[in-house]
Amino acid sequence: MRILVADDEIMSRRLLQKTMERAGYEVTAVGNGRLAADELCKSEGPKLALLDWVMPELDGPGVCREVRKRKEQSYVYMILLTSKEKRENVVAGLESGADDYLTKPFDPEELKARLRTGMRILDLEDRLVEAREGMRFQATHDALTSIWNRGVIMELLGRELARSRREGKCTAILLGDLDHFKRVNDTYGHLAGDEVLKETARRLLSSVRSYDFVGRYGGEEFLVVLNNCDPAYGLTRAEDIRKIIDLQPVQTSGGLVPITMSLGLLLSQEWGYRSAEELLQEADAALYAAKGAGRNCVKVATPKIQPDAGEISVPELARRRR
Amino acid sequence: MPRSLIDFAELLTRVENDRELMRDLLSIFKEEFPRRHRALREAVKSLDTKQVASEAHALKGMLSNLAAREAAGAAARLEQLGRDGKSAEFRESLATFDNIAEELLLQLDARKAEVSG
Repeated sequence: MRILVADDEIMSRRLLQKTMERAGYEVTAVGNGRLAADELCKSEGPKLALLDWVMPELDGPGVCREVRKRKEQSYVYMILLTSKEKRENVVAGLESGADDYLTKPFDPEELKARLRTGMRILDLEDRLVEAREGMRFQATHDALTSIWNRGVIMELLGRELARSRREGKCTAILLGDLDHFKRVNDTYGHLAGDEVLKETARRLLSSVRSYDFVGRYGGEEFLVVLNNCDPAYGLTRAEDIRKIIDLQPVQTSGGLVPITMSLGLLLSQEWGYRSAEELLQEADAALYAAKGAGRNCVKVATPKIQPDAGEISVPELARRRR
Repeated sequence: MPRSLIDFAELLTRVENDRELMRDLLSIFKEEFPRRHRALREAVKSLDTKQVASEAHALKGMLSNLAAREAAGAAARLEQLGRDGKSAEFRESLATFDNIAEELLLQLDARKAEVSG
């Protein structure tokens, strides 16, 4: 565990440094408050600190206040070490954001015990952060496939839509649907169906760039947003994705399951100023056209392809193509 | 025999019986103390209350770390006088501090072989 020791008085600094090193800490020692604050405010800075009260440039309470201002970073457990023993000093020290307070000259055993308290609090914080990250993942990702869930992929699409309009760049929306998925479930069982969905998500992720988005739009329906790509590239990528899905059967607990995907592609040059939902209706119409053309193919959405697409509701389109 | 101004037993407890660290601290003290002591005298001479408080505070810290309680107490009195702006009492308190400091340095020299061995 790394610890910062800040004391302008060289004897105290040496004593603290040695005591901490003997206790197994990795010590960074500085001689003024400004250096201490800078060190603690680094994203990978120490999470434990022993701070002298009286220091040049910035005093101990000043360091605490600066560190506490930066709320986005991990918690730093700070102990003020000082000869100021008056009650109002204790209150002022703690009010500045210090977690604990120890008077000089310190007893090494007491200091180490107090640092262990700090370690317990930091450990608790780590576990809370881990739990929060876990919940955040669950709230944003599809539980089965671990790709973006519908809510998030729609949000990302909306954001990308605004960006491409602002920057005048081309983006592509790909709406893909596994062909005859109901048959997979009926023939191989739901467990195998789930395995197919997971493998499909993996194949989709492996076939796009790190800055593209892949999400589960519905049951066996996937939405891919290809950022900043020219129209020719969008079509090529859509065809590549179709081939990757079709390349080999999926190994499942129910046996080898051959899969194919139909895809509807919409390029941003056709977008105008319509909403993400409206655009998805067009991509969905193109997907419907791909289903109608025999499945396992890509169809590009244009208003001319499906003049009546706007008259068909999305649920109706979904029902028709299954 | 004069009273010992440094409680070596306490000092050893502070350094967790690390004699090398104790020698290290004493060596820093011997180097730093004269400079700080001079600065304190200068501050007293110019009746600079803020500087007296600051230098006395630093000396108090050094002496506390050495378990030199009496000398640290004399430095603490000067620090308080500086904070309270009682410059009229500086000289008398400095004289007390000087006497203790002189004796402390003599004692350190006398135990030089012991602490450096």
